[in-house]
Amino acid sequence: MTEAAHPTWRLPPTPALLVALLLIACAEIGGASMVRFKLELARWARGTMLARPEIHGLVGVRDVDEQIMDEALTRFDGGLRLFHMHAEGMGTIVILTTMVAATWAPTPGWRRTLVALLTVGGAGYPLGYLVWAGLIPLRGVEDGKRLAEWLVWIPFGGTTIVAMWLLVGTLALRLRRPG
Amino acid sequence: MRRPPLVVVLIAVFVMALGETAGAVMSQMRPQTERYTLARVAGNPGVHGLTGSAEYDDEVRARAVFAVEAGLSFFHTHAEGLAPVMLVAATLVASLVGSRRIRAALYAAMTLGVLFPLGYLAYAAAVLELGRDDGAAFAERWVLTPLGTLAIVGILGLLVALGTRRAPVT
Repeated sequence: MTEAAHPTWRLPPTPALLVALLLIACAEIGGASMVRFKLELARWARGTMLARPEIHGLVGVRDVDEQIMDEALTRFDGGLRLFHMHAEGMGTIVILTTMVAATWAPTPGWRRTLVALLTVGGAGYPLGYLVWAGLIPLRGVEDGKRLAEWLVWIPFGGTTIVAMWLLVGTLALRLRRPG
Repeated sequence: MRRPPLVVVLIAVFVMALGETAGAVMSQMRPQTERYTLARVAGNPGVHGLTGSAEYDDEVRARAVFAVEAGLSFFHTHAEGLAPVMLVAATLVASLVGSRRIRAALYAAMTLGVLFPLGYLAYAAAVLELGRDDGAAFAERWVLTPLGTLAIVGILGLLVALGTRRAPVT
């Protein structure tokens, strides 16, 4: 394994770092809020669902409705948890991958493109879980999921995946043509 | 901070890219994954212990689908988690380990160790082809244990190298 002639990392642009750190901070605050405001969040979700019985298929029979609401609340809680986990993970990945792009992209234009795609995709994707959790009481589990998918997960997740494979391709080309 | 060799970075980013793609496949192609799993179970009735009893066979199929989805899920989470960790660890090796030979050995262990999450893909595939228990044993023995051991050796080696370090690299 040969070592490069200029063997230091280049820092990613400050905006990319700020976005990634903000995402990690949101994840931490989200995790803390889930614990601190657990009751308030559950109360809001229940109240919002009860105000929209037709959306959730509530029939007015306590046994049936409680089961439906419990299931929706579990998904609501799951959405918040997934936001917490993905935001922590993607924040870290944005910092590392933009650092790799800043170091190895062959031209300034390509570097800016890669950094922008990695930052926007990586920061936007986890917000989909927050959007989904917020939409569950308002639109129902499946409709909320469909909206989050089309509004956030597919555009931002797709951007991240494309950017990651472009980065892999960039590194592979650099490996073939050192310098 | 010094950077590790390009090949180490490439493998780590490759595993991250695979992990992200697997996450998308898991959510967007769930019905296709399930259909493929059921087709492979039907294609290997012997290894899955299908008996012809509908109730029992349905349970076997459900367990196979669960195992394949679990394999993909573990692959996604481990790829997204281990690859960044190894990239940071390799950066520490580049920056703080003085001996060229030790650096090369640690890079080698980490480069192979970062492939550990692929063991969960092997698990998902092996469960389909060899049955649940034999598939899990195969993936564990031939992929997960060797690659996981190398990842651990890489991290422990870095720990030892840092603990016994005399002078910082300038």
